[in-house]
Amino acid sequence: MEPIIEFTNVSKQLKGFAIENMNLRVNKGFVTGFIGANGAGKSTTIKLMMNLLRPDAGEVRMFGLDYATHEKVIKERIGFVYDGNVFYEGMNLKDIQRIVGPAYKRWDDALFRRYVEQFELPLNKAIKTFSKGMQMKASLALALSHRAELIIMDEPTAGLDPIFRRELLDMLQEIMLDGERTIFFSTHITSDLDRIADYIAFIKNGELMFNQSIHDVEENYGLVKGTVDLLDRDTEKLFVHVNRTQAGFEALTSNVREAGIVFGESALIEKTSLEDIMYYSKRSDVHV
Amino acid sequence: MFNLIKREVIIQKKQLLLFFPFIIFFIVMDSHPVFIFLVTSLFIPFNALAFDEKTNVNVLLNSLPYTRKEIIASRYLGSLVYMAIAIGLTALALFVAGQSFTFSHVALGAGLFLLFSAMTFPLFYVLKQGYIFPIVMISFFLFVGGGPAVFALVSDSLQGIIQFVMGLSMTTILSGFLAIAAVLYSLSWVVSATVYERKAF
Repeated sequence: MEPIIEFTNVSKQLKGFAIENMNLRVNKGFVTGFIGANGAGKSTTIKLMMNLLRPDAGEVRMFGLDYATHEKVIKERIGFVYDGNVFYEGMNLKDIQRIVGPAYKRWDDALFRRYVEQFELPLNKAIKTFSKGMQMKASLALALSHRAELIIMDEPTAGLDPIFRRELLDMLQEIMLDGERTIFFSTHITSDLDRIADYIAFIKNGELMFNQSIHDVEENYGLVKGTVDLLDRDTEKLFVHVNRTQAGFEALTSNVREAGIVFGESALIEKTSLEDIMYYSKRSDVHV
Repeated sequence: MFNLIKREVIIQKKQLLLFFPFIIFFIVMDSHPVFIFLVTSLFIPFNALAFDEKTNVNVLLNSLPYTRKEIIASRYLGSLVYMAIAIGLTALALFVAGQSFTFSHVALGAGLFLLFSAMTFPLFYVLKQGYIFPIVMISFFLFVGGGPAVFALVSDSLQGIIQFVMGLSMTTILSGFLAIAAVLYSLSWVVSATVYERKAF
C-alpha cells in the first residue's frame, strides 16, 4: 500500500506540550479518523502535516516527498479544511475564489461553481455571515476544486448540527468513491468514525497510541467485567485501564482473545466502542 | 508570486475607492509634495497589512502552494509595485491640480517610503498579532513628526557630516539617500524572510 502521509520518529516540543517520536502512516485510498481528547495533540499533528509547524526531530513525508525540497508540489495536492475560519471574514466566496484559485495549477473554476451550487453556497455574501456548516462546505468546495488527492480536515464536524454532520459524512463518502483520494480528519465525535473511517489513529498526550483498521480495533478491544478477586498482577497486565467498584471491576483490554483464554467463563467480555477506548485510555498511563 | 501580489488589492478592493479622495484630500490641504508621495505610497501596502493582521492569513497562505520565501518576497516586491503605481497616480493628480513638484520630491517620497517600510515590515513577522498596527501608527507619527526635530537636535554635533553633505550636489545627495534606503529595504527583506522561515503558525 502506498503511504500518503509518513511520520518517522517525529518530535515537536511546544509550550507545555510535546509530541514525541511519533510514527504514523496513512495509506492511499482510505479514510483515517484521528481521535483524541481536546489538547491531545490532534491540531499540532495536522499542523506538522501542513508544514505550518516544523518537527524538532524526525521526518515528515507527504506523497513520499519531503517539505524541504517539494513544498509546493506537496501542497498542490492537499486540500485543507480547518476548524476555525482562515479566510478574510469580510470577503465573499467569489473574492476568496480569486485568491485561492490562482494558487493552484489544477484549479477548475467550473468544478468550483458546481460544488457551490451543490452545497447551496451564496457567492456574494460575506464569509462572516456563514454558519459553521456553510463555512465547512465552503472550505470543502475550495479543497475539492483543485482536485486534491489528500484532504486534511481538522475537526470538520465540531459544532455542526447532527443532520448536517450526516450530510457532510455522506459527501465525504461520495468523494472517496474513485479510490484515488485519501482523507485524514480529526474529530472527538466518535460516532462520525463508525460511518466512514477505514482506519482509526488515536492520540493521547502527544503520543500515538494506535493506528489500526476499524475492523482490527473492534476485534482487539473489549470491555471485561467481573469480580475483584479475578484481579492480580498477572491478569492486570491484560488491561489498559481498570475501573474498580464495590460490585466488581470493569476494564479495557487491547487483547480480547488473550483475555478470553485467561478469564474464560468467570468474566463477562463485551464489545467496546471507540468512546469507551478513549474514555478508559484517558484515565490510564499504561500504553495501549 | 504575481497572484500573491494581486491578492493585496483583492482584499481591499472596497477601500481602493478611497484612494483618489485620499490623494485629493492631501492636495487640497496643500501638503508638501514629498509628504503626499509618501502617504499615497503607504496606502495600499499598509492597508493590506492591516487586513492581514485581522485574520489567520498566515495559516491560509502557508496552506496554499506557496513557500514562505515567496510570501515574504511578494510583500516586498508588491510594495514596490504599489509604490510605483501610487507615485504615478499622485504625480498625475498633482499635475491636473496645477501643483508644481520636482523629481527630487518624488525621489525623496520614494526613499522615505522605503525607509519606513524597511523599519516596519519586519515588525509584522516579529510581533504578536493585534499589537502591530497601533505600533506602526505610532511609529509613523514619530517618523514624520519627530524625524525633523531629532535631526535639528543632533545637527550641531553632526556639523562635519552636514558640511560634507551640503558640499555635494543635490543629485548626489538624493541618489545617496535612495541607495541607502534601498540597502536598508533589502536588509529588512532578509530579516523578515529569516524570521518568517522559523515561525510556527
